Amino acid sequence: MTMKKIGKYISLYWREIVSVMRNEYREIFSDPGVMLVIIFAIFIYSTLYSLGYGNEVLRNVPIAVIDNSKTSSSRMLVESFGSGPNAYVAYEASDMEEAKRLFFDHKIYGVVYIPESYEKDLIGGTQANVSIYCDASYFLVYRQVFQDIVASISTAGAMVEFQRLVASGVNAPQAKAAIQPVIYQSHNLFNPYLGYGTFIMPAIIMVIFQQTALIGIGMIGGTWREYNLYKRLVPAGRDRLSTIPTVAGKALAYISIYLVTSVYVLTVHYRLFNYPTNGRLIDCMAVIIPYLLACIFLGIAVSTLFKHRENSLLWLLWTSIPVILLSGASLPKEAFPEWMYMLGRILPSSPAVEAYIRVQTMGATFDEVAPQIANLWQLVFIYGGLSIIGMHLVLNKEYANRTKARLQKGMDKLGKLGKSLKIQKPKAKRAQ
Amino acid sequence: MRNFIKGTYATFKREIGRIRSSKTYIATLIILPLIAFLFFAAFFQKGVAQNLPIAVLDEDHSDLSRKVTSMVDQTPAALVAFEIQDMEEGIRMMREGRIYAILQIPEDFEKRILGGGQANVEFYNSGANISVNSLLAKDVQTAVTTFTIGVELQMLQAKGMNAAQAMALAMPIRFSTHVLFNPYVNYGYYVAPCFMAMMLMIFTVLSSVYAMGTELKNSTAKEWLDTGNGSMLAALSGKMIPITSVMLIIAVAMYVIIFNIVGAPLNGSAIVIALSTLIFIISYQCIGIFVLALTDNMRLALSFGGGYSVLAFTFSGLTFPTMAMSAPLQWFSHLFPFTYYMKIFVDQAMRGAPVGESLPDMAYMMLFCIPAILMINRLKRECTYKKYWGKS
Repeated sequence: MTMKKIGKYISLYWREIVSVMRNEYREIFSDPGVMLVIIFAIFIYSTLYSLGYGNEVLRNVPIAVIDNSKTSSSRMLVESFGSGPNAYVAYEASDMEEAKRLFFDHKIYGVVYIPESYEKDLIGGTQANVSIYCDASYFLVYRQVFQDIVASISTAGAMVEFQRLVASGVNAPQAKAAIQPVIYQSHNLFNPYLGYGTFIMPAIIMVIFQQTALIGIGMIGGTWREYNLYKRLVPAGRDRLSTIPTVAGKALAYISIYLVTSVYVLTVHYRLFNYPTNGRLIDCMAVIIPYLLACIFLGIAVSTLFKHRENSLLWLLWTSIPVILLSGASLPKEAFPEWMYMLGRILPSSPAVEAYIRVQTMGATFDEVAPQIANLWQLVFIYGGLSIIGMHLVLNKEYANRTKARLQKGMDKLGKLGKSLKIQKPKAKRAQ
Repeated sequence: MRNFIKGTYATFKREIGRIRSSKTYIATLIILPLIAFLFFAAFFQKGVAQNLPIAVLDEDHSDLSRKVTSMVDQTPAALVAFEIQDMEEGIRMMREGRIYAILQIPEDFEKRILGGGQANVEFYNSGANISVNSLLAKDVQTAVTTFTIGVELQMLQAKGMNAAQAMALAMPIRFSTHVLFNPYVNYGYYVAPCFMAMMLMIFTVLSSVYAMGTELKNSTAKEWLDTGNGSMLAALSGKMIPITSVMLIIAVAMYVIIFNIVGAPLNGSAIVIALSTLIFIISYQCIGIFVLALTDNMRLALSFGGGYSVLAFTFSGLTFPTMAMSAPLQWFSHLFPFTYYMKIFVDQAMRGAPVGESLPDMAYMMLFCIPAILMINRLKRECTYKKYWGKS
């Protein structure tokens, strides 16, 4: 092949890429349904979900106390329940029935029962019993209320023990050591206040990128086939679009859009909602770029299966929930079967969610997420290959259909010509 | 009335034919829900996360430090998978995703305890996944507290007390915890119903919009209306009944998974849950009708309907309680039947609330049918005039 010929091919390919890209942009930006999915969905969902989780943690959960002791000791205990940030005593119920009613009315989420003998037991040197009824029907509520009440009771107990020891003649420092030989301290890393948004939003944002790309690219892919756009774009003097420039043109159009939206999320959105940005931007991009490419190629590959505009949404919207679950971001991978975790690795979202949370929330560096990044690049090549194969088949089929139609047209014309010339078919001889 | 029933029946029969002849219709209505719920059945089989890997930084290397380590290791949640040499190594392993937490037992741990002083145990728990965090926090704290009380009792007994006296002194206030309704505090109990009901809702909305939308797109809307004897209501009922029925069957599968595989309790009224499920399905079908009539464009209606459905997730209050949200967002959460449905589910299945507690919520869900009813005339116009057809 001469240099001139190669140059000609390159320029032809380039022109095809540009024409496919231009057409893809036109399709996206002239269609509110597609724009809603590919562009606005990211803004809408990341903002509304984050607003929903805006307060991040739950504070001041109302509880009720049934104080049958009505003594100064029990008073002190009741008052200490409200001293933590998580719970406060909203009602003093007279009996369990009343507490139950308050509970079913969603007025309280926990009940503490202090028996009549409370003070007597404490003074008498025996054990006093306190019962805690804690609503576990809402996850966060349970954790918060339970923590505060148990902490209050332990503190009150430690004080009683300390007084008793001192009264029996032990000196104060010894008594202190005796009541608490081990000081246990728990530190929460990376998400110190255990914010719910900080926990779940990075995963949701990542999954939104993938799901909108799959559905949006599928919509346009369906449109191309439904409206026969592949035919309109055939360059002059050629039979059909070339496969690789078509895939490349589409991919370039989408990657340009998703780079803009992802940078928005990483900068503006993260700052707006104060999510942790412990990772370096360059390490984030090292995860996000192969992730977006893998999503887009997967989108193009899948889109070659859709013959109608609406199909992608019908077939793919529901997958968002299994996709989140498989990423292991909601329930950890230890909570579901290992084969499902492995299966999840064929989705770009799974390694990406894992790597992204570790980089952005936990401050991991490139080397620490290298296996996930390698996994993403594998997927880029696998789905890139599949999208080329899929597109090749679609273009071939479309070309074959067109040829068939043209042939049919030619035959029809020939038939008409024959009729006008009054050429009659020789009568077939009957065999039988 | 006779005409209405006849029209409904005729449309119903026509719809069955339409379902059988369209691959996409069968997929949205039957095959994809089947795959989705098989997925959930497999996913939730394992139950609570156990043996979450953590590392121990034992700087004491004593009998007591090993005792603490093994007590932590024996809890259901934690698995001591690694012994590390310094904190840096531990943090790196966390970032590599190999461990979730680090237990640090400092030097002189045993010496201090035996010398009658105070020793420290530090637990560094990753907050990146709060469901893992709270499982570990609870179990490790329990293990260390048990260890502490054990030490305390031994020391008090060494001072000449008997076991009962020592116990009363060590724990003057004993508390008995009654965890209501979710004995294992299983995060799956919250996540599973929430995700599966979302799925049911997505399929309901999509198949409803698709069933009507294809009539407009393929210009068969007039034929549909005529099959219902010109009554939009009859035409709609005939079209919706097959979808309602299939979704109800799917809901049964969903509850089998929730109660039998995930193992959530059923403390309240099964009838209220069943009725609410029916209302839930119908309310989302009505939302489908409303969106389609509003846009007279199937694909736009699918985008809007699907988008609206998915939005409900955050605002259901099941994983993150609504009471922690700001006032405007609490108000916003009332725009989804899903919120009421989840409240009914928690009240009935878990809390065992009296039936009367759930009746208002059922009534609220029914209110979501009103926009659809108001759209019936518009929909009839769209079915009658050609200018509304063929959009995509």
